[in-house]
Amino acid sequence: MSQMTDMRKMEEEWLRTERLPHVWCPGCGIGIVLNAFLRAVIRRNIPKEKMVVVSGIGCTGRTAGYVNVDSFHTTHGRAIPFAVGIKFARPDLNVVVFSGDGDLFAIGGNHFVNAARRNHDLLIIAVNNFTYGMTGGQHGPTTPTGAYTTTTPYGNPDRPFNIPHLAISLGAPYVARWTTYHVNQLQNSIYKALNMKGFRVIEIISQCPTVYGRRNSMRSPMSMMEYFQKNSVINNKASYEEMELTYNGKIVVGEFRNVGGIPSYEERYEEIIRRAQE
Amino acid sequence: MSQNKKFKRKATVKVLEERCKGCWYCVNYCPTKVLQVSEKMNAKGYHPPVFKENIDENVVCIGCHLCELYCPDFAIVVEELE
Repeated sequence: MSQMTDMRKMEEEWLRTERLPHVWCPGCGIGIVLNAFLRAVIRRNIPKEKMVVVSGIGCTGRTAGYVNVDSFHTTHGRAIPFAVGIKFARPDLNVVVFSGDGDLFAIGGNHFVNAARRNHDLLIIAVNNFTYGMTGGQHGPTTPTGAYTTTTPYGNPDRPFNIPHLAISLGAPYVARWTTYHVNQLQNSIYKALNMKGFRVIEIISQCPTVYGRRNSMRSPMSMMEYFQKNSVINNKASYEEMELTYNGKIVVGEFRNVGGIPSYEERYEEIIRRAQE
Repeated sequence: MSQNKKFKRKATVKVLEERCKGCWYCVNYCPTKVLQVSEKMNAKGYHPPVFKENIDENVVCIGCHLCELYCPDFAIVVEELE
């Protein structure tokens, strides 16, 4: 038995297999991200009782229901506040926020900004599919300028969020972006981030062929993957302008920030408790 | 696919058909093309992939596990021989 075969067997234990097949559409990228995440967790040898997965609402919010660990399916946009509460109550746990772009950056945008500013010890896995998938493909804060959605039938006039830039500007110690095409790099990135402290953000550009792709001339799951394959460029030292996502343009991926030694909020809080007790 | 003869068979691919949703990333990303879209349907009406090695012996699975990594539905198990 090889290592990879063992990992696949372990993966089944980490999944609530009785709930499979899952609700995600054929070719949805969330399954690929969940697969990479579980493999990274297994490689890190984290016991099940030391891991908590918190999700918000939306397609990606369903993830909490498929992982066989303690998981939270929280109210819309409030995944990060719930996760902060868990981390305060049980600082020994690895708290992972697994949520979508609409949940983390639109409805929960303010929570993201303030949690990053305070450097809470959380791993944020943000699956960005450019749209609100579950409600029928409305435009959101990550929809690229000019993209066609149900609510922008003549093209989106808004500018999208530049998530790595936002996270770096708030001092997050680990910021990376991958697409679902980069399965191995994504797995290694999560593996690396699981061993770090502080507010770690991994943005994953994912495909939504059902409601985003079909309005933007990428009807099949494969054509969306081909778009990622042809247009993604790995550049770890990309400038903020390069990180910006454009409609049908280049996707700059990579590990944009990886610094250690920044104390997390929990560490600073313990220090305050210690000082107050003296 | 006669050039594949130089590779040694390293693994077999098991498809959990009831979980498959027919995105065929596995069929497209396999470097030696050991999977193909089957004629039969599963309970949900999707065509799951079928392991071609059982049909065509010139096609050889090299055990890279890429189909397993790309499968969004946890429907593929690559079993390495020995």
